[in-house]
Amino acid sequence: MTREEAGTEGETTTERTGATRWLGPTAPTRWLERHAITLLGVATALVLAVVFYYPVLTVFADAVRVGGAWTVEVVRDVLTDPFYFGVLAPIFGGEFGAISELAAESPLGLFGFTAYQALLSTIASVLLGLPGAYVLSRYEFPGRRTLRSLTILPFVLPSIMVAIGFVAFFGTNGPLNAVLTALGLGPVNLLFTLEAIVVAHAFYNAPLVARVTTAAWESVDARMVETARSLGANPWYAFRTVLAPQLLPAVLTGALLTFVFTFMSFPIVLALGGFQLATVEVWVYSLVQELEYAEAATLAVAETVVSLALTYAYLRYEARESGGGRAANPPPRKRLLPENPSPLAALERVGVAAYAAVVAVVFVGPIASMVAESVTGPSGFTLQYYEFLVQRQVEGASFQTKPGVAVRNSLVFGVATLLVALPMGVTVSVLTARGGRGTRLADAAAMAPLAVSGVVVGLGMLRGLVFGVELWGHRLQVTGPVAIVAAHGVAAYPFVVRNVAPLLGGVDRSVVESARALGATRVRALLDVELPLVASGVAAGAAFAFAISIGEFDSTVILATGSSSYTMPVAVERYIGNRTLGPATAMGTVLLAVTSLSFVVVDRLGGRWEA
Amino acid sequence: MKRRTLLKHGGTATIVGLAGCTGGGSGGQETTTDETATTGETTTEATATETTEETETTTEASLSGTLKVATYSSFVDAPSSSPGGWLKQEFENRHPDVTVKYETPENEVNHYIQQAAQGVSIDTDVYVGMNVDHLIRIDEKLGQKSLFAPVADRLSHYGHVKDGLNFDPQQRAVPYDTGYISLVYDESKIQKQPETFQDLLKERYSGDLIVQNAKTAATGRAFLLWTVNTLGEDQYLDYWQKLKENGIKMLGSWSDAYTAYENGEAPMVVSYSTDQVYAHRQDKDLTKHRVGFLNDQGYANPEGMAKFAGTDKPELAEAFMDFMLSKQAQKQIAQLNVQYPATDWAPLGAEFKKYAKEPANPVTFTYEELQGNLDGWVDSWARQIAGGR
Repeated sequence: MTREEAGTEGETTTERTGATRWLGPTAPTRWLERHAITLLGVATALVLAVVFYYPVLTVFADAVRVGGAWTVEVVRDVLTDPFYFGVLAPIFGGEFGAISELAAESPLGLFGFTAYQALLSTIASVLLGLPGAYVLSRYEFPGRRTLRSLTILPFVLPSIMVAIGFVAFFGTNGPLNAVLTALGLGPVNLLFTLEAIVVAHAFYNAPLVARVTTAAWESVDARMVETARSLGANPWYAFRTVLAPQLLPAVLTGALLTFVFTFMSFPIVLALGGFQLATVEVWVYSLVQELEYAEAATLAVAETVVSLALTYAYLRYEARESGGGRAANPPPRKRLLPENPSPLAALERVGVAAYAAVVAVVFVGPIASMVAESVTGPSGFTLQYYEFLVQRQVEGASFQTKPGVAVRNSLVFGVATLLVALPMGVTVSVLTARGGRGTRLADAAAMAPLAVSGVVVGLGMLRGLVFGVELWGHRLQVTGPVAIVAAHGVAAYPFVVRNVAPLLGGVDRSVVESARALGATRVRALLDVELPLVASGVAAGAAFAFAISIGEFDSTVILATGSSSYTMPVAVERYIGNRTLGPATAMGTVLLAVTSLSFVVVDRLGGRWEA
Repeated sequence: MKRRTLLKHGGTATIVGLAGCTGGGSGGQETTTDETATTGETTTEATATETTEETETTTEASLSGTLKVATYSSFVDAPSSSPGGWLKQEFENRHPDVTVKYETPENEVNHYIQQAAQGVSIDTDVYVGMNVDHLIRIDEKLGQKSLFAPVADRLSHYGHVKDGLNFDPQQRAVPYDTGYISLVYDESKIQKQPETFQDLLKERYSGDLIVQNAKTAATGRAFLLWTVNTLGEDQYLDYWQKLKENGIKMLGSWSDAYTAYENGEAPMVVSYSTDQVYAHRQDKDLTKHRVGFLNDQGYANPEGMAKFAGTDKPELAEAFMDFMLSKQAQKQIAQLNVQYPATDWAPLGAEFKKYAKEPANPVTFTYEELQGNLDGWVDSWARQIAGGR
């Protein structure tokens, strides 16, 4: 049975069983069903308010409230500082005379440089991600599903591990240079440059672009392409006019997310670029370390304004583009060895092989180097770092980090996050799926967890949740596992939204409307009709939610203060020893193994539902 | 053996009382404690015995309960070695009714400064692992609110702390170990080691040095302060501009920098003068871990401990801090944390004596010299370096 047939059959069965269920429920259940979306919406808003908006706004308030008094002085100082804003600073300050001088000396400023490197990183990520999406969605080969599950892996790797892998692989004495030297291409110095930052950002974000685009490519309507072809369009014209518009929203989602992430990048910049290439977020981080909240908050607000403005612009675009009803009906996949050999088919396979080589260098190389570090001691091969993990698990004191506990916590939090983020994300998708300008604003507000600097979120949580709020003489604190899951859920659900909402917008309204006309509640129509149609997006969102939870570091560390709620990335960080990365890389390898396995499982479970 | 520990406790208790009477005079006190230390085990034994019985019982009885000690995570949880476990076990052995509980908040001292600033009550008793920057930040941010209480005079072993290492004029922070910032270089790549700061600007060292970001890494900050100390406030920015033009690499943390150094990205790195102790323990090639001082100096970076002002167990906190300064603990902290002891009486092993290098002229800024200047120096430096220019 081909995938296509399975898809259609699945659809009809769900609709049929759905129809019988619509007659069933008793009165209270029906009330709950009818109001389910509203209730979920209220719950989502509450979680957002407690775990995100309240903490972050307390930090942002620092920008205009200094020492108990309201002031705009700090904001003005920051905005008119050429170090931050380059030529924009005199414009903000109204001193137009200074523009030409600054344009010659430091035209970009810290913000300009940050945006510049984010732009380069985004271009690199899209260029590297799109061919991946093409191969994964258009080719059939053994291990394709597994490979697709693993595309999300780079996304969860702690930056410290990525940095270790990059330094080892791209380094002066690394394997890449060894190969290049053997080929007579001479050693290249890749580290501590802008290029290193861009490649590392692509390492993180190209899989994101690939993943989101693959989901869209798998739900395109091939019949439209066939119609175009039968009307005489050549393949390129058919692609440009029929297929590209169906993929563009997904590509732009990937590009937008990449830009926002790399705009706020900081651990990679610190570890691989060097302080000469500092970004705004590096600056915010050090200001927070120095407890200079007013200046840090002002910079963070400025960062957020940039990211949210982009998000808003994108959402308006997305709303314009979607709405054309279509059914998922992807074309059949090609084989790696062409059935009908032709020069064009051969050329395409050469391209795929070249792409595979690039993937091996950028993705496999650093990860393999990191794993290799975990079994290499000062005098060659060793298992001593894994012995350390076992020993720590068996003998570790209560105040020390045990690997087994970290693995268990990561998995439990990951699953719990999935259960929190999926309903939240789907609810927000439904609530904002259609509507006017107001909805776009609400959507942008719901996307804010992506657009706010991680440093600020962490600080806000510390001051708002961990220290607690004084209410009616009691100090209310929110910490521990529940708070961690809530925080992970808030960080993760925007990914569910961005994977589900565009597809949901594309679902044929008449199908939903006929279900409603037959007496189905809104939530019933959603569960039985719409979600199965956008299953690939829901599965991608679920994988992201799980991934975000596994990889999350900042809020986990803060909310787990003084408890045993640490996760695998936290353990990696804590195992960095004086002059030895061995135990950290061993723990990193454990993280790699556990998450790879979980992604395959999450994807298979999601995929089962998908088919 | 049991009797010997009893005697020591007796002695300690007596001196605590004595120190309390004499007050701040560290000079005079130093000789007193010195004598007790060297002669204590033979001649003073007889005199101490008389007081032992009653003081011992009172000390033991008063020392009970849970002591909360906050510190940075690698002090208790480093995979290589860390002193936290030993200190807890040994202190609990000496005081069977006491439990030591460690806390390692991610943002370290800042965690408590923020709590104090927001009026949240702190139930931690001792902080281990602060430096002079933290103290300045505490005093700047909290003003009249006191986070830590002066404690030095109440510690019987305080007199053993080396003179140059005390960094808190208010005697809240008590040094327990120190590192000297120096260069570490690979002899096979650096034929002639740089001997002065000016040497580093030479063409032959172009691209050879990895330093840490002074905004985020303690070693990087110490190296920056060293240049301010040696070259002067008016010259250091020019010097850094030239260093930058000579291709220094500047990474975020000591760990990032050291990893890059070990991978051969550059033949010199800013690190600690105890580097060879580690290298030796891990059987590394020592020629790749040469310690080099500039201008025969090394920047001293003492680490201190302090008692929280709001603690409800002041005696227990003081007993723990005094224990940290004891001969045996000083030896263990030095070896496990691979730093120099802060006192003059730690019996260091042969390994340490052979491989740890002490600069001829240790330099450091005092609290007074840094106060009001530190932020400005670091900020000007950061603006000079950063932003992709």
